[in-house]
Amino acid sequence: MRTTTAALLLLAGMAIPLAAQAPAQRPAQNGQNTPVTPPRRGLGGREYPDYDQAEVQRGQTLFVSTCGFCHGANAKGGETGPDLLRSVLVLDDENGEKIGQVVLNGRPDKGMPKFNLSQDQIRDIATFLHQRVKDAALRGTYQILNIVSGDPKAGEAYFNGAGQCTQCHSVTGDLAHIGSKFDAVTIQQKIVMPREGRRRPGTPAAPDAAPVQATVTLPSGQTVTGKLEHIDDFTVALTDANGDYQSFTRNGDTPKVELKDPLKWHTDQLLKYSDADIHNLTAYLVSLK
Amino acid sequence: MKLSRILFGAVVASLPALLCGQMLDPSLLLKPPTNAWPTYNGDYTGRRFSPLSQINQSTIKTLNLAWVHRVMPGEVPGSIVGGLGPAARGGGSSEFGGPQIKSTPLMVNGILYFTTPDNTWAVDARSGRELWHYFWRTTGGIHIGNRGVGMYGNWLFFETPDNYLVSLDAKTGKERWHVQIADVKQEYFSTPAPVIVGNHVIVGTGGDSLDVPGFLEAHDPETGAIQWKWWSEPLKKGDPGSETWPDEYSMRHGGGMTWIPGTYDPELHLYYIGTGNPNPVMAGQSRKGDDLFTCTIVALNVDTGKLVWHFQTSPHDTHDWDSVQTPVLIDGEIDGKPRKLLAQASRNGYFFLLDRTNGKNIVARPYIETLNWSKGVDSEGHPIPNPEKEPQVSGVLVSPPSGGATNWPSPSFDPETGLFYVSTSEAFSEFYLTDTDPHPEGYGAAERASGRLGSTLRAIDYKTGKTCWRHDYPGGGGISGLLTTAGKLLFSGDGSQHLVAFDPANGKILWHAGLAGNISNGPETYMLDGKQYLVVGAGDSLYAFTLAE
Repeated sequence: MRTTTAALLLLAGMAIPLAAQAPAQRPAQNGQNTPVTPPRRGLGGREYPDYDQAEVQRGQTLFVSTCGFCHGANAKGGETGPDLLRSVLVLDDENGEKIGQVVLNGRPDKGMPKFNLSQDQIRDIATFLHQRVKDAALRGTYQILNIVSGDPKAGEAYFNGAGQCTQCHSVTGDLAHIGSKFDAVTIQQKIVMPREGRRRPGTPAAPDAAPVQATVTLPSGQTVTGKLEHIDDFTVALTDANGDYQSFTRNGDTPKVELKDPLKWHTDQLLKYSDADIHNLTAYLVSLK
Repeated sequence: MKLSRILFGAVVASLPALLCGQMLDPSLLLKPPTNAWPTYNGDYTGRRFSPLSQINQSTIKTLNLAWVHRVMPGEVPGSIVGGLGPAARGGGSSEFGGPQIKSTPLMVNGILYFTTPDNTWAVDARSGRELWHYFWRTTGGIHIGNRGVGMYGNWLFFETPDNYLVSLDAKTGKERWHVQIADVKQEYFSTPAPVIVGNHVIVGTGGDSLDVPGFLEAHDPETGAIQWKWWSEPLKKGDPGSETWPDEYSMRHGGGMTWIPGTYDPELHLYYIGTGNPNPVMAGQSRKGDDLFTCTIVALNVDTGKLVWHFQTSPHDTHDWDSVQTPVLIDGEIDGKPRKLLAQASRNGYFFLLDRTNGKNIVARPYIETLNWSKGVDSEGHPIPNPEKEPQVSGVLVSPPSGGATNWPSPSFDPETGLFYVSTSEAFSEFYLTDTDPHPEGYGAAERASGRLGSTLRAIDYKTGKTCWRHDYPGGGGISGLLTTAGKLLFSGDGSQHLVAFDPANGKILWHAGLAGNISNGPETYMLDGKQYLVVGAGDSLYAFTLAE
């Protein structure tokens, strides 16, 4: 399972080689509440330390009671105080040194009073603010919320009807108890594209996924069949039934290459799914505990 | 045309009297590249079309490797070292798996100048031998790529990931000066190649994580002093475009980065550039409206930075579809009349053709078949986003993904075929809204890749936006920089580590060479000593090809 996940992550990365300008946090096949390894850098490459969570907690409590009235309980700004998470002073601050000066002296010109806080209290508030900035900047750590909004009955009808899922799957067979095996995001991803990143018809699949089968017909009429390893305009490579790797030079349509992708239905479905179909199917499969 | 010649004559006259050695003759910037490749796209048009034809459909059979140059980034023996960071940091290899040459080298007087993040090299264009290497000690910033250098006289200019504009002496690689253009603590990072127009060094920047505003600015090549700065959002209520934002606060944090070099029409005196996505990136609830001038092709007066016209390609974008793709200048014909045109294959999957004198739309048409986010275009050619395809908590299936139908790698326009070439990807992602706050921050959503139907090289009829021919890469391909030449050749990478030459008329494969990596920049070509060179970057190496003797 671990290998599979790693392979899926790799493939997911391949699928979006150019996401944003910076694919630092790649779309990945992680499940709900299981973020990918938290990256240390925001997209700007700024390094964020692992903040002391006790400081963050104390800072939050203190911030809400002392600063929240003007700056909002979440520090994003309120009626009179600015958003502190986008404050250049906060971004420039280290360990409360710059924030402390403002807290202790106030900003009389802007109507902010002084606050008589201890150095430890100021540090706690600063750490809370820095954690909030980090949370916004590091998109790889964003938590996907509760995605189950669909109608399980409609999902069941789609599963047995229009979706033609029963041609390959069974809720008492391969999908039995799937709702207790995977979180909702993972299930949704398995519906949409169980072998994400596999390009049509091409690059190798994740080890446990149904591999693409390639049949090469040589000019002599001899055929070689096996698991597709690689194909481009100039070479096709496969592993045959004996486990032997074989590659062939391609020149236009010679030799003839036929590919069979057992997951083709899922790829084709990308053009047909409505979002409601996906949400309903998710709700149905999640309900199969 | 006459006026621009006079203007450039004046520029030449004002340069120091060093008309020898590495010096770039600025008149080269105004014509299609032959004996030089003096700016990011070869010339100001962004067409990446070369009039050279020694390498052509008949001779390409004997196109052979002339040399390979593998870079050694970082603080290596012999490096000239600058920068403000500590010595231990950085090696230019970045967090993205080894050095990737994404810059298109300039070739001036037999010398190639190119970059990776924090590194600039001068290499003999005949032999691939390194002449000098400059290394910038970084203070941070994302090291995803660098598009290269700009050149003015004997001076080079490049940008660093920690947002400095650095000027080097082309002869020696020694630093002349550096100036800061943005604050790395606000998550800005800079990747563009500066473009030199007259005595303006035009630089942009990038950054998406902390909702900062984008800008483009011009610097003095002598001193680095700023000449003008154009913000890609209105600064206050009442400014043009401010009616497309709910309040001043949202527009001041609205994104719109300028991370790909633009193009320039010397007769109109206009600099064209596409801007990036708005911020917060994927959660649009705090910036209801079209969010000008993000995801917009803009025309700026090159001397003042003043906006002359704009055309928005993705009103109220919520999918990270930067519109920075090269705005390619085409002198073409519409309904039998000669027109000054501008074409862009935009990241959101639409091909646009504009009148570049006024920004009026002529063609707006999807160029990938999987596109599913739009309800068509309005009467002025702007796509109408379907609000149901904005990121939702439960997820929405959208094509293209944030990476786009295409991305930064250069397209090409061949005036002989009249076709616009672009490499594309036909893929889907689920977009999940994760930040439901009325004032979200950063991206505000998560994306999960959901499958890909293919990757394709396309030839688009610029007059209609229709795909005339397409080559579907059987192994999935990838988005590659392109080059066309008068040798009736179209060069591209295929995503399987090959450099491939196609017939630009029909997509037939004519030649290929296997390299040690995927093409990572745009191929270029130039003449030296009567010999045509084809140079391409793939990963950590430059490869040069010439015809066999």
